[in-house]
Amino acid sequence: MIVITERCVGCAICMLVCPAEAIRVEGKAEVNIEKCESCKKCLIYCPINAVSWVE
Amino acid sequence: MRVAVIGAGLGGLLTAALLSEKGYEVEVFEKLPFFGGRFTNFNYKGYEITTGALHMIPHGSKGPLAKLLKKAGAKIEIVDSKPNGTALYRGEEIVVNRKSFPLKSRLMFGFYYLKNLFREVKLSEVESRLDDFSAKFLRAFLGWSLSVTPSQVTFSEVYPIYEATYEFGGPGIPVGGCKSVINALIEVIKSNDCKLERNTVRAIRKENFGLSVHFYRRESKKFEVVISDIGPIETCRLTELKLPELSESRGIKYSIALEEPLIDHTSVMFTLETRRICGINQVTNADPNLGKKHFLMAHQPMITSNVKFEIAEGLRDLKEILKGYKYELLAIQSFSDGWPVNRAKIGCDCKNETSIKGLYLVGDGAKGDDIEVDGIALGVERVVKKIEKEVVL
Repeated sequence: MIVITERCVGCAICMLVCPAEAIRVEGKAEVNIEKCESCKKCLIYCPINAVSWVE
Repeated sequence: MRVAVIGAGLGGLLTAALLSEKGYEVEVFEKLPFFGGRFTNFNYKGYEITTGALHMIPHGSKGPLAKLLKKAGAKIEIVDSKPNGTALYRGEEIVVNRKSFPLKSRLMFGFYYLKNLFREVKLSEVESRLDDFSAKFLRAFLGWSLSVTPSQVTFSEVYPIYEATYEFGGPGIPVGGCKSVINALIEVIKSNDCKLERNTVRAIRKENFGLSVHFYRRESKKFEVVISDIGPIETCRLTELKLPELSESRGIKYSIALEEPLIDHTSVMFTLETRRICGINQVTNADPNLGKKHFLMAHQPMITSNVKFEIAEGLRDLKEILKGYKYELLAIQSFSDGWPVNRAKIGCDCKNETSIKGLYLVGDGAKGDDIEVDGIALGVERVVKKIEKEVVL
């Protein structure tokens, strides 16, 4: 499962690259787990390592 | 002569392109799966939304960045703003030029220029002596271009921007947005047989022959020169350099899709009577391909450290400005800490040279005397000149 950590500053790059439009950002990113396809693109694109994957 | 560029942001790529044109053997290393850092864009719902910057070059086609892009052979078209800027004041949009400011305030500005030669003058002091329009314009201009308020900066820090605006003129928008600048630079680098590689650097070490760069995913490599475009803090982490005292600037950017146009020109409309929002530009006026419909970018500085509160204030402003318009909020992006508006607030920029021989800093933590990407270009120009002078091919 994708988890957004406290480090998130809200730059929204994850939202821009998410193919499922599962991310909403207002100050911090929030993932809609129902919509998330677990492609991990947000994790790879996050410039400050604020996204992690938890089994 | 081998040069490593760490970080493929605008500063890194511009340096790489210029040096590769001169025949240096340049390799660029980027940890992220995209190039351009905070100066590129992604298509989102039919709009070219940036990773940080505004689709804007502060001094347009005659400024420092445009000059260096030309020198590097990067083919970019920049649409210069006409007029230089406007101001939304008391419900009316006014074209801003010298004469928009009352004579008394212009004289006051001159008075503070002289005063600043003898002692440090906070801009808030100047602000308090100006007429309402001029004071509000100053506040909006600083918030839009530097993400700071008048109390955070001094006269001497901001004066070079005034001079640069006088010399080079107002802003411009690159056709294709920030990304077109990045792509043009990459093309130059590749055409000179230099490489761009996705890799994360874990250390830079001083050696007898020059510098060695250590990676996570492959063996280390030797270089005579290393250019760091990852900011002063990260650079210190990779080396044994001492961390400089730094303060960054923080801001919030709103991307908005509009049915009917709000602005009828290609420049910035500074918003003077707002809580937070300092300016808006309708970038599709310069390049219709930047959005499906009309595309607005609005910007505000962060006054408090409460991001949620700052966004709520900004949204209240936008609601008032866009009253009667049909619009969709595409993205709210806040920039701070690891991904700030400016790694170094104006006046705090680090030197381009470091105490390690052969290691240079570029990017927005090491700008020259100008704002945003034009400041980055001045820093890059300094580094390239230095390398050419000191290091023979």
